[in-house]
Amino acid sequence: MAGAQTHRLDKGGLIDRSASLNFRFDGKTFSGFQGDTLASALIANGVKLVGRSFKYHRPRGILTSGSEEPNALVELRTGARREPNTKATTAELYEGLEAASQNRWPSLRHDVMSVNQLFAPIFVAGFYYKTFMWPAKFWEAIYEPAIRRAAGLGRAAGVADPDHYDKAWAHCDVLIAGSGPAGLAAALAAGRSGARVILCEEDFTLGGRLLSDGGTIDGLPVAEWLSRTLAELAAMPDVRIMTRTTLFGVYDGGTYGAIERVNDHLPSPPEHQVRQRLWRIVARRCVVAAGALERPIVFAGNDTPGVMMASAMRTYIARYAAAPAKRIALFTNNEDGWRTVEAALGAGLQIAAVIDARPDVSAAYRSLASKGGFPVLHGSVSGVEGGKDGVRKIAVSLTGGARAEVEADGLAVSGGWNPAVGLTSYHRGRPKWRDDIAAFVPDGAPPGMVAAGAANGDFGLGACLSQGFAAGAAAAHDAGHNGKAGTAPVADDEAFSLTPLWHVAGKGKAFVDYQHDVTASDIELAQREGFESVEHLKRYTTLGMATDQGKTSNVAGLAIMAAVSGRSIPETGTTIYRPPYVPVAIGAFAGHHRDETFHATRLTPSHHWAAEQGAVFVDTGLWKRAQWYPRAGEKDWLESVTREVKAVRGGVGFCDVSTLGKIDVHGRDAGAFLDRVYINTFSNLAVGKARYGLMLREDGIVYDDGTTSRLAEDHYFLTTTTAKAGLVMQHLEFCRQVLFPELDVQLTSVSDQWAQFSIAGPKTRDLLKEIVDPAEDLSNEGFPFMGAREVALRGGIKARLFRISFSGEMAFEISVPARFGDAMARNLMLAGAPFGVTPYGTEALGVMRVEKGHVAGPELNGTTTAADLGLGKMMSTKKDYIGRVMAGREALVAPDRQVVVGIKPTDKARRLRSGAHIIPKGQIPGPGNDQGYVTSVCFSPTLDQWIGLGLVERGRERIGEVVHAHDPLRGEDYDVELCNPVFYDPDGGRQRG
Amino acid sequence: MADFSWVSRSPLEHALVTGTHGARGVEAGVSLTEIRNFDLIQVMARRGQAAELAKAAMARFGVAAPDAPKAVQTSDATLIWSGPDQFFVLSKGSKHTMQTLAPALSSPASLSDQSHARALIGISGSKARIMLAKLSSIDLHPEVFPIGSAAATSMDHTSVTLWRGGNRPDGQALFNLLVFATFAESLWHTMLDAAAEYGVDISHSEELA
Amino acid sequence: MRIVCPFCGERELGEFTYLGDAKPVRPVAGASEDEVFDYVYLRDNVAGATSEYWYHGGGCRAWLKVARNTLTHEISSVEPALGAGAARVGA
Repeated sequence: MAGAQTHRLDKGGLIDRSASLNFRFDGKTFSGFQGDTLASALIANGVKLVGRSFKYHRPRGILTSGSEEPNALVELRTGARREPNTKATTAELYEGLEAASQNRWPSLRHDVMSVNQLFAPIFVAGFYYKTFMWPAKFWEAIYEPAIRRAAGLGRAAGVADPDHYDKAWAHCDVLIAGSGPAGLAAALAAGRSGARVILCEEDFTLGGRLLSDGGTIDGLPVAEWLSRTLAELAAMPDVRIMTRTTLFGVYDGGTYGAIERVNDHLPSPPEHQVRQRLWRIVARRCVVAAGALERPIVFAGNDTPGVMMASAMRTYIARYAAAPAKRIALFTNNEDGWRTVEAALGAGLQIAAVIDARPDVSAAYRSLASKGGFPVLHGSVSGVEGGKDGVRKIAVSLTGGARAEVEADGLAVSGGWNPAVGLTSYHRGRPKWRDDIAAFVPDGAPPGMVAAGAANGDFGLGACLSQGFAAGAAAAHDAGHNGKAGTAPVADDEAFSLTPLWHVAGKGKAFVDYQHDVTASDIELAQREGFESVEHLKRYTTLGMATDQGKTSNVAGLAIMAAVSGRSIPETGTTIYRPPYVPVAIGAFAGHHRDETFHATRLTPSHHWAAEQGAVFVDTGLWKRAQWYPRAGEKDWLESVTREVKAVRGGVGFCDVSTLGKIDVHGRDAGAFLDRVYINTFSNLAVGKARYGLMLREDGIVYDDGTTSRLAEDHYFLTTTTAKAGLVMQHLEFCRQVLFPELDVQLTSVSDQWAQFSIAGPKTRDLLKEIVDPAEDLSNEGFPFMGAREVALRGGIKARLFRISFSGEMAFEISVPARFGDAMARNLMLAGAPFGVTPYGTEALGVMRVEKGHVAGPELNGTTTAADLGLGKMMSTKKDYIGRVMAGREALVAPDRQVVVGIKPTDKARRLRSGAHIIPKGQIPGPGNDQGYVTSVCFSPTLDQWIGLGLVERGRERIGEVVHAHDPLRGEDYDVELCNPVFYDPDGGRQRG
Repeated sequence: MADFSWVSRSPLEHALVTGTHGARGVEAGVSLTEIRNFDLIQVMARRGQAAELAKAAMARFGVAAPDAPKAVQTSDATLIWSGPDQFFVLSKGSKHTMQTLAPALSSPASLSDQSHARALIGISGSKARIMLAKLSSIDLHPEVFPIGSAAATSMDHTSVTLWRGGNRPDGQALFNLLVFATFAESLWHTMLDAAAEYGVDISHSEELA
Repeated sequence: MRIVCPFCGERELGEFTYLGDAKPVRPVAGASEDEVFDYVYLRDNVAGATSEYWYHGGGCRAWLKVARNTLTHEISSVEPALGAGAARVGA
């Protein structure tokens, strides 16, 4: 049973008191309301201690009310959905929410690691660089695991994320970041002008600071103005408002990244819905109305639970009706901090004192103090007494040197405001310093982007509205929309007077970066040790490098560095700003692309037939290819593959080779074009004939190979390897469009138009006679080796038949239009039944090509020349072609190059493995005598032993030599014989017969 | 002698299951209809022959072939821009095949049969555009991509041809998608995943929309 | 990054493939090894305005010459290759 909400205010707030929600934190049950964040619900329940700090395990509470929160990080949800480092300040409450504090053991209240505080002197800046330098082996074994356990954040779930994520594109004229007064005014102006608008708001409720600070706009209370404005925007069809969506980055060409937490506010996404969605937004113009972040003041004990940003405190009071404390002290250096006093008094809370670092306080606030009966102390907070149960007492150094004490259970702090300059600075922009507000403001922005309102350093409500409106109207105009924008909403500007104060000297730890436990003395130490540059300071102390990216700490850190190094803050400068503005889950970047859908897949036309046959598929690039077709009783792949090879060599088999790239080359100059891209000549190829061709890269190295047939005078049908299909198309288009624009050539991919099958084995012709129209002459004379022509098939369709062989057998390849590919496989089974036809997969294909000594991917590996592959004679000397000149370079024609050769173990029973290195016999293996390696291997059923191809120095001159195969990876050493790479039917009688 | 039948099988025949998919209890936000058995011929102007091709196409189809990313409706075909100086002729019932087009067009152009190289999917419904935003980087806002607009583009790293046909009788926009046949099943599953949250109505048809 | 394809209009980077410097011109047949060597290997590492070849492979398959500033990523012009489409240029 949940306890009472002891710190819930009786009235007010944007929460739905009729919707009570139970939740658990560290195993204890609490209740809150719809509209709460986890942080506001914890506050309403009087919880002050929510986490332990990163290095020192100090007790920490809630500091802010937004995405800049450095302290209140929790593990949200359980099991596979457990997500570490979730900010309690932005996590929306839902029924049954479970959260746990992080980085403590055994419990949050009794954390043994808090002894780290005793060792604090060794955890100073540069700790990693100074400590545990030696002995090196201790690092991995002892230091790192121990430190990792002691210092850290939450635990990942450790299992696959059960939720789905996706990605989407959006387009608009005007993109607006933030729905505060400036953002809403910009949306009004741009929307009324007729522009397509997208407004992103990271919160789940629109309004920004309006939700907490109140005020009057156009003579209306803000709540009323807000609902009227939102209604007007909702009525505009081309204005899209995206809540729970953070704009996190800006990229070239007006592309923006945003993360939408679609269903993070529910225990789990509803069926068919995603958890989060990554948006890529293309916008002509962008108005950054991301507001400003209130900054802490650095003083001893400033991390005690109960110390909170003043603006956050009034957000909890006004928006969530939750009291962070009941007797509140305020420490401020500016006028704005006083608004928290107004909010607290309005809610019936007690003010203990205001400690104002400025010499003067306005008359209005002075009278508020006297009416409220609390003292105004001129000075600063020099220490906080308290601990895991929160603030108890505050020590004050009064101007003039006297000391005072204030009893309070909460301390609101305001050190001024920093405009959110992230988005405007992501293209290496450096913000500029503005003295009047003692803050960095944008100095220019990526093309098309402008900052408005508080994000631009103008904090007054009136200024936010007028600037936002003007920026929205200008952005719409720039994007070509000039509709009537009407007039800007009007409001007064609040006074903003600030006396800069960054750091109050005193005894005890004063934190700058709460999340990384970087203190003021760490920065001073870094300066003494010479790490004065901000980029050095950042990396040496890890200031600003935690998951919050220093949103509450960077400027204070710079200011302290500036003070100790005797420079101004602008002289000290800022580090480079980089996206993302908030952490984005990798899952969101992956979107749909995970597991089976990691990438698109391609299926051959006979895929589902092959699946019916029980084929085992292998991923080959994007393709799924049938690797072999196991039969009942076969004990392993080798047995299946051996059967398939024997069936082909002894009878007939077929294999889907549709994965080869296929390109129609048309045009008057098609032959001349091919002469320039192949090393051999195609212009003299007769119509109705096919020829093997080899392409080089311009640097003389082999690029790709395949057969190309001439189907008509001005029409060639070119095939590529499976792996290079897309790249060869791109290369040929480059040749056509860039290198040889004078030629009349048209290229079209027909890879998907044709289902292509290789039919091989001595009974191929018998099978074909069953299926090809009897009028077609398939005899050696009527259809000679390397013939290519259209034939009619029984049953009424046309096919293309090519008499080419990869297996070394009597073979044809047959192409039918792809939608007949499935029928073709079935009909080949039917036609071949009398001859024991056997479908075979890529493994058997590979075995037969190795037996036949054909080169493939492992030999066409980007380092070999045509001559290395034994194809040097194909290089025409009568024409220019791509790669010709470079192929003649000295090193590429050197006599001691590694060339393709056959390899077989001298022990016939031994297995040969690819990757083994070839060493001269009798020598000790080493880099100096490494003469090449085994590229492709197979068990040859035909030779009844393992054989292979290799690239071996002067290999062709060494046929018959016994050398040594050295395989350090597998710990194998054995003798092999170099041999003719054509193991099978070396004179080629079978494929010509 | 065996009896061979040549059953034409669409690349989506295995994956496409007629009926509803995804969210239930709502009116399907996305309708997917595969169009089967069409004729698709790629026409590419020969070097320097773009003007001659335009004339020949006008004579053959009675309307100008698209010379920019557009889809043009003729009495019995759709001409879809597929790149500079090239377009597709999409039709049904053997009206425009390699054999019938060659006499008219093969002098200024080369022709390539793509009838089996693509799957054709019609996409409509109240959530069609928002679903397509997950797959396509193109702006499909009606003012930017009105009826007759076409694009040679990519979805899920897969080349596609996308064009907006005439609205459906209920006024909903209709997007047509040609995707390479060997990628079709993969893109189909991706599309179903993208559309599931809106509810999907799945069918196939022998008629061009 | 987005590139305005002269045929298709503005498209996102993912539809394009980068090749490299568009300045080197392939030597004519019979050129010396040195000339071809320079064409294949010699490249300037420009900080500023460059001319590059990009392929709109995820779109209309045109090769494009893109003038881009390597410091700002700003694209100042995009032209089709001479032989794109039916090569009106120089026909």
